[in-house]
Amino acid sequence: MLRTMITATNTLGQLQSQIDTISSNIANSNTAGYKAKEATFSELLYQQYNNDKLDSTVRNSPVGVRYGVGAYLGQIQTNYAQGSLQATNRDLDLAFTKESQYFNILMPDGVNGQRTVYSRQGDFYVSPTENGQVMLVNGDGYAVADSDGNAINFPDNVSSFSLSEDGTLAVNYPDGDSLNFELGITELQKTQVMEQVSGTYLGLPSNMNELGYNEADILVDLQGAARTDVGLTSGSLENSNVDLSTEMSSLINAQRNYQFSSRAISIADQMLGLINGIR
Amino acid sequence: MFKGFYTVATGMVSQQRKTEIITNNMANANTPGFKSDQSTIRSFPDMLISAVGKTNIPTENNLSISQNDQIGSVNTGVYLQETLANYTQGSIYETNQNTDVALIDGTMPVDEESGQAGAIFFRLQHADGGEAYTRNGNFTLDGEGYLVNAQGLYVLSAEGERIQLQNDQFQLTQDGNILVNNQVAASLGVSFSANPNTLVKQDNGLYRTVDGANLPTAFGQDGVTFSMQQSYLEGSNVDSAQSMTDLLTAYRAFEANQKVLQAYDKSMEKAVNEIGRV
Repeated sequence: MLRTMITATNTLGQLQSQIDTISSNIANSNTAGYKAKEATFSELLYQQYNNDKLDSTVRNSPVGVRYGVGAYLGQIQTNYAQGSLQATNRDLDLAFTKESQYFNILMPDGVNGQRTVYSRQGDFYVSPTENGQVMLVNGDGYAVADSDGNAINFPDNVSSFSLSEDGTLAVNYPDGDSLNFELGITELQKTQVMEQVSGTYLGLPSNMNELGYNEADILVDLQGAARTDVGLTSGSLENSNVDLSTEMSSLINAQRNYQFSSRAISIADQMLGLINGIR
Repeated sequence: MFKGFYTVATGMVSQQRKTEIITNNMANANTPGFKSDQSTIRSFPDMLISAVGKTNIPTENNLSISQNDQIGSVNTGVYLQETLANYTQGSIYETNQNTDVALIDGTMPVDEESGQAGAIFFRLQHADGGEAYTRNGNFTLDGEGYLVNAQGLYVLSAEGERIQLQNDQFQLTQDGNILVNNQVAASLGVSFSANPNTLVKQDNGLYRTVDGANLPTAFGQDGVTFSMQQSYLEGSNVDSAQSMTDLLTAYRAFEANQKVLQAYDKSMEKAVNEIGRV
């Protein structure tokens, strides 16, 4: 069998995955808090053929002929750069102005369980619970956690919300009362280790213990004095950081590479035809 | 038997091997740090043909002298002898990752024996022990904060140690120093190979020495200059137009050999079926 064909088909499948990544980026170019993904290739296995061990002619390289068998996606990295801020003038639209800071979201997990996930998507709403209480939730209806990891509940009939610089949300009532809630904000130190749960949510990797990683190494909850590091603003949303022109040029590039590999297959096919046509 | 029969067959095999190598180059046209392979096709050692005969001398005892006349040399085909990587610099392109580093060649001394220019590589700690070298600077941080490559091999510093960082908020100077809060935390290790053709190419863009010995550092080597660029990667140095042309050329050479093979087959057919027909 011609190795040309195997090399090309190996690569075609991986190029398809790269195109999938690019199209996901393009589709999410308007999703608040979305971070672009970048797929990078690595070389696949090399095989060595010692077809010339007794060959005594002068050679420049070590003995053997090494064949590569194509390319595969080595890693898909997320680009965590800050997205641009879009003003919405809504009190409960919050956006981070510093990289690697995340809201803590309590995502339902299993029947009654919940899991803390991290997101930069800051379009928050209130959702009624019981006894005239409301809860601060995000666009998917998941509770937003305070700095102690609890859901934020407060009585309804709110007149306005205001945000202070250290990420404290003040709930104001018409009678002049106000309640303060410290939003749970976490700084991710090793963002590339985080697992993409769904949408814009990141979670700690489920096999973290197997890998021997420490939660404290990966993320830092901003509490107490560290709250001064918080960079949070209200009345705007963080746009996705997808750069459409970059994505389009990567798409064209990937597509041309796809063509190259398909061309190699058809050439290999013609070569097989020639072998068949010897007689 | 027709001698050229097997000669054209070797021609077909070596052209096929050549297409395989070119396809791998094209498959890696998007792989950072990939160095394209060039194949060397070489003819088999020549054979000397001689005619062995006898000359009869008309004497009483019918003396004969054996005689060996050289006819000339004949070639028995070609084979793909070796593949050599082309170590020229690939183009540099921007990514948005702080952990991506492009290694940019300055001047490299030329090895006098082989005429091959030297090459520089990032140092990695290989899982089997020892060092591996790569041009692919697509690094990342693992959960413990070590700088690793895409396959999780540790990137080594100039002192040969792993590099541990708190997060990816660091600056890399052009001479390879990693600055955290303007303090030098580590410096990226770069190794130099005077004749990179002696390295063995492996998967994931790794290069290793045959005897397992470590390459010397590139810092302070005579005549070696280089720089590093953070948030950039070195693209593959595959020239797609050149590869496509080479592929088509190899294909046509394969076809030509096939045609000759067919011609031999026709001759043989005549020899078998038509000679001696009454």
